[in-house]
Amino acid sequence: MAVYIEGVGLTKVGRHYSLSIKDLAAQTAFNAIEQVGGPEGIDYLIFSSALAPLQDNQLDIAGYVSSYIGLRGIRALNVEAGEASGLAAIAIAKSLLESHQADKVLVIGAEKLTEYVSSKAYKQLQMLYDSDLRSFYNIGFAGDAALLMRLYMNTYNVDRETLSYWPALMHSNAKENPYAMLRFAIKPDKVSKSQILADPITLLDAYPIGDGAAAVVVSSKDVVKTPLVKVTAIESSTGLGGIELLDDPLIFDSLLSAYRKLSSIADISQIDFMEIHDSFTIVAPIILESIGLAERGKAPELIAEGHFSLNGDKPLINPSGGLKARGHPIGATGVYQVAESALQISGEFPGIKVDNAKRGLVISLNGLGSNSYVALLEGV
Amino acid sequence: MAMDLSISRFWRKKVSVYRLYGSRCKACGKVHYPPKKACPYCGSRDLELIELPKRGKLLSYTTIYAVPEGARPKSPVYFGLIDLGITKVVAELTDVADKNSLKEGIEVEAVLRRTREDRDSGLIYYLLKFRPVMVHR
Repeated sequence: MAVYIEGVGLTKVGRHYSLSIKDLAAQTAFNAIEQVGGPEGIDYLIFSSALAPLQDNQLDIAGYVSSYIGLRGIRALNVEAGEASGLAAIAIAKSLLESHQADKVLVIGAEKLTEYVSSKAYKQLQMLYDSDLRSFYNIGFAGDAALLMRLYMNTYNVDRETLSYWPALMHSNAKENPYAMLRFAIKPDKVSKSQILADPITLLDAYPIGDGAAAVVVSSKDVVKTPLVKVTAIESSTGLGGIELLDDPLIFDSLLSAYRKLSSIADISQIDFMEIHDSFTIVAPIILESIGLAERGKAPELIAEGHFSLNGDKPLINPSGGLKARGHPIGATGVYQVAESALQISGEFPGIKVDNAKRGLVISLNGLGSNSYVALLEGV
Repeated sequence: MAMDLSISRFWRKKVSVYRLYGSRCKACGKVHYPPKKACPYCGSRDLELIELPKRGKLLSYTTIYAVPEGARPKSPVYFGLIDLGITKVVAELTDVADKNSLKEGIEVEAVLRRTREDRDSGLIYYLLKFRPVMVHR
């Protein structure tokens, strides 16, 4: 059963030293609430944050935010699925609406990553990967993706410079997006020459460390008045989550599984654009190849040739600038993806516009696929 | 230090992180590391602990400069994906004289190495890491 997005609030991803996670949440929630004509009828708050306990020293963030934004008494719950938290929160909201447990759900994704120095964030972000083994090592947030990137380059004989077209494309898209953190163009040859984080991953291959918040009001068919877009279907799947466990680490097993589930319940053959989880340069081609949008080992070449760019012959990927350049405030990211896609389909996105966009796909995962979520959004 | 790890965590993991024990599934035959309570491939709970080979081939590697808080003195950190034949593992790499000596296919072996010191309780923690074999010939 489809549910509808009525209101959207977005904050520019960045270093918001003057705003707390609750301030960021309030700002975006108020924008979303205003679009639906006020808080009346909102009967559930689903919050999405992964790092609030660590960055903001706050548990039950959903409970405390409720009274902070004037919604005392509402039912509220925080949803955490690492980097996939935001889309997981939308999935829970949809499920509450479908089961008639709620009529109008406010979903807020908010995250602070800059309360402490970056090395502290690296330590916290290392928790996105399986702590059973990795927590014993000092590998930070980019180690696993670095191993995957080298493996990809060697397996398919793809050179580093070809991969660099992805961050360049994301920066080019983000330049037009007022909510993006990195609004400047870069040339592909700058990527390999920037600071090395975990070779071959450089600073320009990785998502920036920034704060952000996004909010959407999701309504059931019965109460919706001014829908922007409908959320037709959301599916998800868990996976092995570690490259050492996968016989074939160059396909995200959980994403493949979630995508197959989605295609069995919805027609996803004609997609105009996608918002995908490009936390690191290497994650983008593997997502595109996992869902069959590119042959294995060929996505970087197709990206470099402009097939996924504006006016390319394939779906436009990440008009927002993606995690790479819009930014990736962990638990908020999935809500950004959905909010931006809703605006894209309703024709109100203030950045790169996809002509006549009717159908968008949102893909979110944690780490290298411990959990994957896929959502189909359609015009109304 | 990597994370703020408890003493009991090291104790619980002693068989896997000190002796490199993995699990073999009696139903599907696949081996995984570190051991889980069910086979991650087929779901069977019929598992047996087995000692993994201490030598393998390096499949991928990275030199990490963006290290987490507290690890700055240990930077850069070398990290690798290692094929042990019956299964693959990821581990920190050690005794790397020069990062250019890391190449796909080189042989690496497990060695016990100091990983962190807990100044308050005076404990020194050790862990298996892998080192390139040829350096020590």
